[in-house]
Amino acid sequence: MSFVANLAGSGRQLAEKWGRFTLFTARLVVVTPRALGRPRLIVDQTHNSGALSLVIIMLSGLFVGMVLGLQGFDLLRRFGSTEQLGSGVALSLLRELGPVVTALLFAGRAGTALTSEIGLMSATDQLSAMEMMAVDPVRRVCAPRFIGGVIAMPLLAAIFSMTGIFGGQLVGVTMMGVDSGQFWSQMRGAVEMRDITEGIVKSLAFGVACSAIAVYEGYHAVPTAEGVGRATTRTVVTSSVVVLVLDYMLTAVLL
Amino acid sequence: MRTDTDPRARGDAGCIARLTDVAYEIGGRAVFDGLNVAIDRGKVTAIMGPSGTGKTTLLRLITGQIQATRGRVEVDGEDLGALDTDGLYRLRQRMGMLFQNGALLTDLDVYENVAFPLREHTDLPESLVARIVLMKLQAVGLRGAARLMPSELSGGMARRVALARAIVMDPKILIYDEPFAGLDPIALGMVLRLIRSTNDALGLTSIVVSHDVHEIGILADTAYLLAAGRVAAAGTPAALAKDPAPVVRQFMSGEADGPVAFHYPAPDYEAQLLGAEVPQ
Repeated sequence: MSFVANLAGSGRQLAEKWGRFTLFTARLVVVTPRALGRPRLIVDQTHNSGALSLVIIMLSGLFVGMVLGLQGFDLLRRFGSTEQLGSGVALSLLRELGPVVTALLFAGRAGTALTSEIGLMSATDQLSAMEMMAVDPVRRVCAPRFIGGVIAMPLLAAIFSMTGIFGGQLVGVTMMGVDSGQFWSQMRGAVEMRDITEGIVKSLAFGVACSAIAVYEGYHAVPTAEGVGRATTRTVVTSSVVVLVLDYMLTAVLL
Repeated sequence: MRTDTDPRARGDAGCIARLTDVAYEIGGRAVFDGLNVAIDRGKVTAIMGPSGTGKTTLLRLITGQIQATRGRVEVDGEDLGALDTDGLYRLRQRMGMLFQNGALLTDLDVYENVAFPLREHTDLPESLVARIVLMKLQAVGLRGAARLMPSELSGGMARRVALARAIVMDPKILIYDEPFAGLDPIALGMVLRLIRSTNDALGLTSIVVSHDVHEIGILADTAYLLAAGRVAAAGTPAALAKDPAPVVRQFMSGEADGPVAFHYPAPDYEAQLLGAEVPQ
């Protein structure tokens, strides 16, 4: 009986949290037009979430592409069609790995930075001070960070895919000896506009989800060292799960 | 209770903030019950009381950060219970608040912190913003620190910057939450002098929450002493020092035991020791 009661309690808590998150995201969307009137803040936050994540994104993209090159070459060699490597690497990255791995890395790098920054601002009364100065912290602090994250994610995913394709080419063509002309011409022939669109739609959706979760967790963090730490962990865990679930749903819709 | 603690018993002409029969509960525990406070215009009013008596909660009621569960809170002619968010924000533009740790925005330097309210609420040209900010920083003696980051400031300097920021919009009411906590004697003297001079030079009303009896004795025109969710005494600091009520006497003379007990409620000492009970 207590198990059922606990389960019901957990379910209610989850529903309450989902409701609070939905309301908060709606509030973010409502204040977004006013926040767009301060482009300087958005440029700063796009830089923080995007440019400062470039190294980890490019490095990961390169190695993911290199692994794809190795695995793809080994698999295709069994069927005698190693010239298909270029299209395999490009389609995997553009449609799936680019948006998903970028979102997971974004949650770990930029998402945790957003949550801990906003959480610490709350713990040190900076958000209360803004309210006392008649400045809405959701508009001034949360919205620019949310918009910056949404802008940064598709750009990062594109860079991830680009460096990944370079990594695949490095392994396939330079190391394994696949013909360069075949590698690139097969890729050009196989990749269609809808593959690129799928990647952009996914990375935009992941950008909205990861940024909203990071900002929400920071804004609602218990204003103590432990509270901010827990909120940062929740950002990574929730974002990762949401990205993977969303990925399945979007793939099912877009295929 | 003394009759002068009841705002209904006095004229309201000189009163800028008034709490009437206010109750506030948090988690089922009553912080205030039947609280009456009147803040005189142009004066420095101190809110004193032992830790945990709700001094900061009283400030949060006056600033509209929380709503009273019963009673009426009026500030500068506005009933806070009837204000929507926009109305509350308009009222807050007439108020300045100094947080205990300064609450400076850590990603902005001193200059930008002081300029922050001007940039958010006005479209003043940069040259005018610079002049206003420099004048306010000069008033707190930190014009030369304009380009320092908050992490490079001492506690006293951070509070002075926060004061410059609080007065940059020329508010009517300035609220200080524990302005003397953790300051060395020099910084304390500076903050003390600044609160008085700012109040008198700019014609403000100041509300100071503190438990520093000595400093309040020097600074305040009127002091309220809170205890057990109500006003235990009110009047000039000198009058409070002579108040015979036990809780007032204990607080003003810093006695360790009295109506505010030294010991937190606990089971019988002897029984617990002899039984070697581990506290549950």
